[in-house]
Amino acid sequence: MSETDARKVAPTAGANPASSQAEPTRREGVLPVIVVVIGLIIAIQIASFYLPPFVMPAPLTILYATIDILRTDYMHIGVTALRLLVAILFAMVLGIFLGIVMGVFPKIRPYIRSLVIIDTGIPALSWMLLAIFWFPQPEVRIFFIMSVILIPFYALSIFDGIRALPRDWVDMIESFRPRRWQVLRYLILPHIVPYILSTTKSVIGYAVRMVIFSELIASTLGIGSRMSLAQSMFRIDTVLGWTVILIVLNLLLQTALTALEKQLLKWRAEASVR
Amino acid sequence: MSSEKEAVISLKNVDKSFGNMVVAKNISMSVKSGEIVALLGQTGAGKSTVMNMIMGTLRPTGGEVRVAGHDPYNEFDKLRGKLAVSFQTDRLLPWRTTVENTELGLLILGVPAKEARERALTWLKRVKLDGAENKYPHELSGGMRQRVSLARALCVDPELILLDESFSQLDHVTSKALREDFAKVARQYNKTCLFVTHRIEDALEMSDRVIVLRPGAGIALEQSIDDAMRADETRLRELHQTIADRMGSGPAA
Repeated sequence: MSETDARKVAPTAGANPASSQAEPTRREGVLPVIVVVIGLIIAIQIASFYLPPFVMPAPLTILYATIDILRTDYMHIGVTALRLLVAILFAMVLGIFLGIVMGVFPKIRPYIRSLVIIDTGIPALSWMLLAIFWFPQPEVRIFFIMSVILIPFYALSIFDGIRALPRDWVDMIESFRPRRWQVLRYLILPHIVPYILSTTKSVIGYAVRMVIFSELIASTLGIGSRMSLAQSMFRIDTVLGWTVILIVLNLLLQTALTALEKQLLKWRAEASVR
Repeated sequence: MSSEKEAVISLKNVDKSFGNMVVAKNISMSVKSGEIVALLGQTGAGKSTVMNMIMGTLRPTGGEVRVAGHDPYNEFDKLRGKLAVSFQTDRLLPWRTTVENTELGLLILGVPAKEARERALTWLKRVKLDGAENKYPHELSGGMRQRVSLARALCVDPELILLDESFSQLDHVTSKALREDFAKVARQYNKTCLFVTHRIEDALEMSDRVIVLRPGAGIALEQSIDDAMRADETRLRELHQTIADRMGSGPAA
């Protein structure tokens, strides 16, 4: 991941993600997904007629494999989901802290920013290999890998959010002579909520990929390790079954986040462009 | 000396320059307790600079600024709860409802949440916004938003209220209604007000005294206004003309 990647997921400085775009309607969000899924099923079915089963199994075979996984391997789904949740929450808290420090303390800003930018320049694979050398415990390895990869997304996004804070609001709140923590409580924290949500929505897919990679090389538990096992046993139907589960997991997380966003950002005006 | 003691705002020979650019020069003025004073001037006359020095967000280059007996820049925290500002734009926080925006200053001053809410509701009623307490800013009209901004300033019960072109972005009818309501409330609760404006009509209608600033020069005119003068159209027209002349007279030689 590079700083550019991190900036891609972060709302642009000066733009308020709270008012940047209207939420897609339910129909706009669900219908295309259904159409694409049906299209993929048809494509896989056609491909399975011409390719051997160990290259492309039929959709029904993948479905059976998925059901089998849900029946026997559900514990691994829970482990991966928990790892994902803990890592995202930790990265969120530390990233918010670093972003606020960068935004509020100009003297410390260059040092933290340099640290974050150096972090973004280190490839994910380097962190994974280093984690194997440094930490014997699989849980620590995965937590470390996920944290160092996700923290810069939050830190840079929150920093951008604070830079986009309207000067007018700062002057207004300062006219009451607040303590520093009151500026944080009444102005900065509510202002960065849309940035936190938008960053989380953007990184969740990336975080799912990273946790799977981490499990693949650093653990014997979790979806990644089970996919590795399935691959070594030439069970492509199981690999595709796990892939289906991962897609569903990602969709569920995105849906939960959208619901949370609706609740937390109910104050914002819906805007739409004709 | 006694008049100085009564002065809520006092400026003595105040200068302000940014580099070589002189924005305010040798300004001496005072605002007494309970007075409503209008600070008039064309764009670039230094009105906002004077306002910012009184607020304590700008340090004067020379001279002395005192607000409620304190240096507002060096003793910034000493004016906690003594001063409130209503700005040109409403500056409402979009994630807070009308009542939450109104009580903001009180919460910052450490007033218990329940009491803050009650006081905010009382002020919303006084500025004719009862019924809109739970609406978010984007659900209010421009006039309503400005009323919330005024209620937010009045709610903290400050010694001094500064109004920085607070009515200038509203349409004529809304602005007039709001000015009248504000002046009525300010007089009823004996508030000291300094309001910056470039609209002579606003100043004549609301204030006890007008102070006219000239760009880069200083005070060009200081004139008291009473109800008798306000009722006399001829005198009022003459004063309007005098103020317009002084505002547009450019830098002093």
